[in-house]
Amino acid sequence: MDSGDNTIKIGDYVVVQRQGYTKLHKLKASSKLILGSFNIEMDNVIGEKYFDTFQMKNTPGNKRFYVLEKVEQVNSAKDSLNIEKSGQDNRNIPNNHAESQSLTKEDIDKLKDAELSSNNIVGQLINNSKTFSMKTEYSQEKYIKKKEKKYFEYVQIKKPSIRILVQMFYRQDPTKTLGIRVDDLSQILTYANIHSEGNHLLYDSGTSGLISAAITNAIGPNTTGQLIHTHPGNECQKNAFIAMQFPKEQSDRCINVNLYSVIRCFYQNRNTFVENNAETSEPEAKRQKVDENTKSASNIQKKTWQLDNEKACKILDQKVDSLIITAKEHPVNITKELLSFLKGNRNFVVFSLFKELHQDLYTYLKTRTDIINIRITNNFMRNYQVLPNRTHPEVNMTIAGYLLTGYKLDM
Amino acid sequence: MSFNGYKNKIEEGDTVILYLTITQIYSVKAQSKIINKKGNEVVNVFQTPYGALKCGELVGKSFGTKISLSKGWGYVLQPTPELWTITLPHRTQIIYTPDISMIILQLELSPGSIVIESGTGSGSLSHALIRAVKPHGHLHTFEFHEGRSKMATEEFRNHGFSNYVTVRHRDVCEKGFSEELDGVADAVFLDLPHPWLAIPHAIKSLKSSGGRLCSFSPCIEQVQKSCLVLLKLGFQEIQTMEVLQTQLSVQQRNIPVINMDFLKSEKDGSEGEKKDREFLKTVVAIPPPSLPGHTGYLTIATLPPVWARSLQMSLNEVDMIDGEGEGD
Ligand SMILES: C[S@@+](CC[C@H](N)C(=O)[O-])C[C@H]1O[C@@H](n2cnc3c(N)ncnc32)[C@H](O)[C@@H]1O
Repeated sequence: MDSGDNTIKIGDYVVVQRQGYTKLHKLKASSKLILGSFNIEMDNVIGEKYFDTFQMKNTPGNKRFYVLEKVEQVNSAKDSLNIEKSGQDNRNIPNNHAESQSLTKEDIDKLKDAELSSNNIVGQLINNSKTFSMKTEYSQEKYIKKKEKKYFEYVQIKKPSIRILVQMFYRQDPTKTLGIRVDDLSQILTYANIHSEGNHLLYDSGTSGLISAAITNAIGPNTTGQLIHTHPGNECQKNAFIAMQFPKEQSDRCINVNLYSVIRCFYQNRNTFVENNAETSEPEAKRQKVDENTKSASNIQKKTWQLDNEKACKILDQKVDSLIITAKEHPVNITKELLSFLKGNRNFVVFSLFKELHQDLYTYLKTRTDIINIRITNNFMRNYQVLPNRTHPEVNMTIAGYLLTGYKLDM
Repeated sequence: MSFNGYKNKIEEGDTVILYLTITQIYSVKAQSKIINKKGNEVVNVFQTPYGALKCGELVGKSFGTKISLSKGWGYVLQPTPELWTITLPHRTQIIYTPDISMIILQLELSPGSIVIESGTGSGSLSHALIRAVKPHGHLHTFEFHEGRSKMATEEFRNHGFSNYVTVRHRDVCEKGFSEELDGVADAVFLDLPHPWLAIPHAIKSLKSSGGRLCSFSPCIEQVQKSCLVLLKLGFQEIQTMEVLQTQLSVQQRNIPVINMDFLKSEKDGSEGEKKDREFLKTVVAIPPPSLPGHTGYLTIATLPPVWARSLQMSLNEVDMIDGEGEGD
């Protein structure tokens, strides 16, 4: 259809996927990507299309250094191998795995360096295994799959999406996104009632830009919604946000401000953002002072962060339509402070990895008369392997954090 | 019209959420008269444990404020898809917010997306889908039960969602999602007894640049059949999961403390006091004694763009052969 949109270009953030493993990469001219133990030259994907599949090819004379070649066909190990014999059960298989394989690690590395071909390597491993033919058909298959995965020579290029990013970050290092799992994120967005309209307020103490990206994505392109993203540092984290490559019009509606500096501006520099027409109703003396201030302020070239603070304060002054807090700090003070900017008849969500912190927050919120429908929730999530006669929950599972959701009355 | 956009004042005909306590939440319609089952016009009164509410009197009140009842009080809230899901009239089994949230994230919906859903059922999921794709996206929802499809149409209109949704009365397993939708959808969602029969039709409706598909099924046999069809038709990233939510209740508990220090020394006359039991006040967060252990499995997959489909099909073939050779 619209091939222009789907062509891989220099400057794009791409997701490189090899089997279940994914990595985010910014495409530059002659850029290289380290994917596990592979060092890959990325140039050949430029000009091709998203979802295309590429084979990692060894470069002559340069060990472990691979170039990509687009393929139209992929051969699976199981298909090309001819397995003649299988055992009935595993009664004759010795426990010591190492001895059953006569290829050494060096031998395998040599094979890999000569040509990365999972079919060839798996074939060799089988030929040099003393026990393979004794294994049941089922374990043979499992063995092939496992080995094929290790030496799999194909990668696919995809466009980043919130779904891909949240799962990738969580798998790589959950601490970099405060331990927010895909189900946590999905519910933060629904319970906070994030959509294309309204002004949304976020405090995020560090999720690599994942939450600001997810909210901006839910606000959408060419809509009226805006996000104030408050953060504790000098610079906000924005890996995920940049990777989403939002159109300028959309990313401009996410205002990134330092939490302390925006709150200071709100309470101490009201004159910088309060609208002129509001001033006319103020006493004469005060108005004069304000006029002077604005005059002197406009003389100095304002820094971007100051302008952003003022833009954010203007919105805060009108109050916001939703509040999201994803903090590693204790949530009570932050929630208390930011709730004062939330309109009545609106919802808020606070994420924490620890339920004890939410207990404190709950106890605090219960002392207020303007907060109702307070719930603390936690999810059990499990993935399944679905294959005929071999369907079962996946062997590994992970834990999620806790959400506290609530509703602010209009009082 | 109380679903579309933020709103302060309750108007005639608005759906209003009546919040009494965390476990007593209802939806009512702000209008003074209502047609009863016999077809007669009667006064619209909602009975609550704290007294009767004349719903017509809600008109003009502000959302988010307190209202008094004869034996207590309640709050009137503007509905969100989440509040609607826990208060809506059930015409079928419905999908709840934990699953709905995952469905929306997995389908990669955002404003502007075109999404197809079947069946409409009670419209629980539909409300959240519409919120995710409006204002310039669209939901096409299909329901083969005529009454339900009519009621859903009426409900969406009442809620101010007409511009964002089209309800069609149609059997999607037999007839597909209609030709006018060929190649237009970004995502397809199925909540059907035989989802695998609708998957081939879903491919026709998805854009040639590909898209996402999700199916919700209570039974694992349905999942297995669907997964095989997805493999056969060249879907990738096929994943099955379940999400269950637990709600913790925060309570203050007095935990008895046993103290044995006094046993270690000779009598000093203070033993008598030890009979007063000691307690430690502590805050605990406890899950309910019983909770839903299963809702349904979510099976999710990507349909690659046309240029990558044949390669994917040849890849998937292997997984299928694996399965078919089994069982002896
Ligand atoms: C469980 S309900 C869906 C509930 C919905 N997801 C919700 O959250 O409210 C399933 C619906 O699918 C409808 N249905 C079943 N088979 C169908 C078919 N082949 N075509 C269209 N609708 C169908 C049923 O009438 C029923 O209303």
